[in-house]
Amino acid sequence: MALWFLAALLVLFVAGPLARLLLQASPASLGAAFRDPELFASIWLTALAATGATILSLLLGVPLAYLLARVPFPGRRLVAGLVELPVVVPHPVAGIALLLFLGRQSAVGQVLARVGLEVVNRVPGIVAGMLFVSAPIVVSAAREAFRSVDPRLERVARTLGDTGWHAFRRVTLPLAGRSVVAGAVLGWARSVSEFGSIVILTYNPKVASVLIYDRFTLFGLSAAVPAAVILLLLALVVFVVVQLLQSDGTARQ
Amino acid sequence: MIRLEDVAVRVGGFRLEQITIEVPPGGYGLVIGPTGSGKTTLLEAIAGHVPLEAGQVHLRGKNVSRTPPESRRVGFVYQQYLLFPHLTVGDNIGYGIRDSGAGHREARIRELAQMLGLAPLLGRGVTGLSGGEQQRVALARALAPRPSILLLDEPFAAVDPATRRVLRQQLRALHEREGVTTLQVTHDFEDAMRLGDVVAVLAEGRIAQAGAPEEVFRYPKSPFVAEFLGSGTVLRGRVERLTPEHRAEGRFAGRFRSGALTLEVVAEREGDVYAVLRPADLMVSRTPTVGPAPRNRFTARIVRVERGSAVANVYLDVQGTALVAAVTTATAEELRLAAGEEISVAVKATAVHLI
Repeated sequence: MALWFLAALLVLFVAGPLARLLLQASPASLGAAFRDPELFASIWLTALAATGATILSLLLGVPLAYLLARVPFPGRRLVAGLVELPVVVPHPVAGIALLLFLGRQSAVGQVLARVGLEVVNRVPGIVAGMLFVSAPIVVSAAREAFRSVDPRLERVARTLGDTGWHAFRRVTLPLAGRSVVAGAVLGWARSVSEFGSIVILTYNPKVASVLIYDRFTLFGLSAAVPAAVILLLLALVVFVVVQLLQSDGTARQ
Repeated sequence: MIRLEDVAVRVGGFRLEQITIEVPPGGYGLVIGPTGSGKTTLLEAIAGHVPLEAGQVHLRGKNVSRTPPESRRVGFVYQQYLLFPHLTVGDNIGYGIRDSGAGHREARIRELAQMLGLAPLLGRGVTGLSGGEQQRVALARALAPRPSILLLDEPFAAVDPATRRVLRQQLRALHEREGVTTLQVTHDFEDAMRLGDVVAVLAEGRIAQAGAPEEVFRYPKSPFVAEFLGSGTVLRGRVERLTPEHRAEGRFAGRFRSGALTLEVVAEREGDVYAVLRPADLMVSRTPTVGPAPRNRFTARIVRVERGSAVANVYLDVQGTALVAAVTTATAEELRLAAGEEISVAVKATAVHLI
C-alpha cells in the first residue's frame, strides 16, 4: 500500500505541473501566441537549429557509435566515457566552456569566424550548444543499436559478396536504423529544450527557451505561459513519436 | 580446393598453430575438435574475417591470404544460422546472387528451395522458422551464389537427431550436385565417418592427426585422438620383446603388460606405450573356444551391459583394468550377458593398436 502511495506521489509530481500549465493557457492567449511573430520566428529558429545539430550529431556520431560498438581500439572506454560527459556537466558550465573554446579570443573561434561561422550571438552558437548536449544521446542510442546487431551478420553478408560498406548498408543499418532514428528524435528534443548553454553563447537571436525566460523576467508569468505551452505541446508530439518508434522496434523482435 | 599451410590464428586467449589441411577439389573435409578449441575461428580465417598471424590460405589453387572476404567466393554457414531477420526466406537465399538478369535470381532461389524443401516458406519471415528450417535456409543462402568453397560451422549441433539424419543426407546430396569443396568443423565424429573424405583432429591448438576418417579412427596416433574419437579403451603399459628378429615393416612380436592384463601384440618398439583396444575387436564368449586363432584369451567380469538398438556395449573388469567390448544386441541376448558374471574374452594380437 505504501508502495503504491509513494509511486503515485511521484507520478502526480511529474504529471501535475504539466497538466496545470496546459490548463493555464486560455484559447484566446494561445491564439494570440500563434499570431505573435516574435514567438513564431523563435520557434522556427529553434526547430531549424535543432535539426542542424541533429544532422551534425548523426553525421559525426554514427561513425563514432559504430567504432565504439564494433571495433576494439586502445582507449575505447575513455572515448566512450568522454562522449557521455556532457550529460553530467551543468549546462551553463558547458556554455562557458564552449564560449572559451569557440569564442572570438580562441584560435578555433578565429578560424570559424574567417569561414563565416561566428559563434557568439549568432546561429552557429545555438547549434554548438545544442550539439554539445544532444550528441551524447545520439551516440549512445546508435551505439546500443549497433551493439544489438550480431556482428557476424555482416560477416555473412561479406562472404556473400558485399563490401564492408554494403554489408553495413544492407544489414546493420536496416536492423539498427529504427533505434538510431529514435535516438536522433530524442536528441532533437533535447536540442529544442536546451537553455543553459545557449543563453550564454547566443542570447540573441532568441531560441524558444530563451524567449520564454526573457518574457518571464521582463513581463512576468502570464507573458511566458503561451510560449511555454506551445513548447510543451511540441515536446509531447516528439515524445509520442519516440514511443512509437521504440515500441514498434521491440514488437518486431 | 582448400589448402592451409602452417596457418596460425589468435583465438581469444590462445592460438591455433601450424594448421595444415588440404581438401581436394570437390572433396569433403572435416576438422574435429572439442568445443572451444577454436574451430569457428579457423573457418573465419579461411573466409577472411580473421587475420592470419602466420601461414597461408589457398583456395582454388590461389593464395588468398590477403584477399577480402567478398572476393574469396566462399559460402559460410554459422552454427547459429544468422539469417537476416529483416528479410524473407526468399530474400535471405537470394542475398548473395549478383546476376539479376532475366530472372536468374528467382530461378536459383526456386531451385535451391525445391532441393531443400523450402519452397512453401519463400515468402515468409525468418523469425518463426524451426531450427532445421533455419539451417536449410542458411545452407541455401550460402550456396546460392555458386561458391566453389563451402565452410560449415557445426551444422548439426542444434537440431534433433531425426532432423540431423535428414540434413546429413541433403548435405551430402547437395555437395555432390553442386561439386562444392567443403570444410566442416564439428565435435561429432559421427559426421566425419558419414560425410568426410579427409578428417583432421584438433587438439590444444594444433592438428593432432589428419587422414581418411577410417584410418584416423582405426589407427589413432595419440591417446588424445583415441579417447576423443572413442576409438576404444586406451591402456597405458609396457612392451617387451618376444622375438629377437624383426619381422616385415620393422615390427616384431611382443608382450604388452598393463596392470594385471598381459597381451601378445605386434609392436614397433619396446618400452612405455599406449594400447588401444577397439570394442568391436574384443570377442566375448561363454566358453573358451578351442582352435588356432586369437592368442590372447582372458577371463573378465561383466560390470554393466548397455543395450543399444543394434549394438550392446559390455563393460568389463579384468582384475582392476576396465575394458569395453561391443557385441550385437542379438549376441548379447543369446549369451545372456549380465552384470556380475564371468566371461571369456579373446583378442587378436594384430588388433591391438599401439601408440
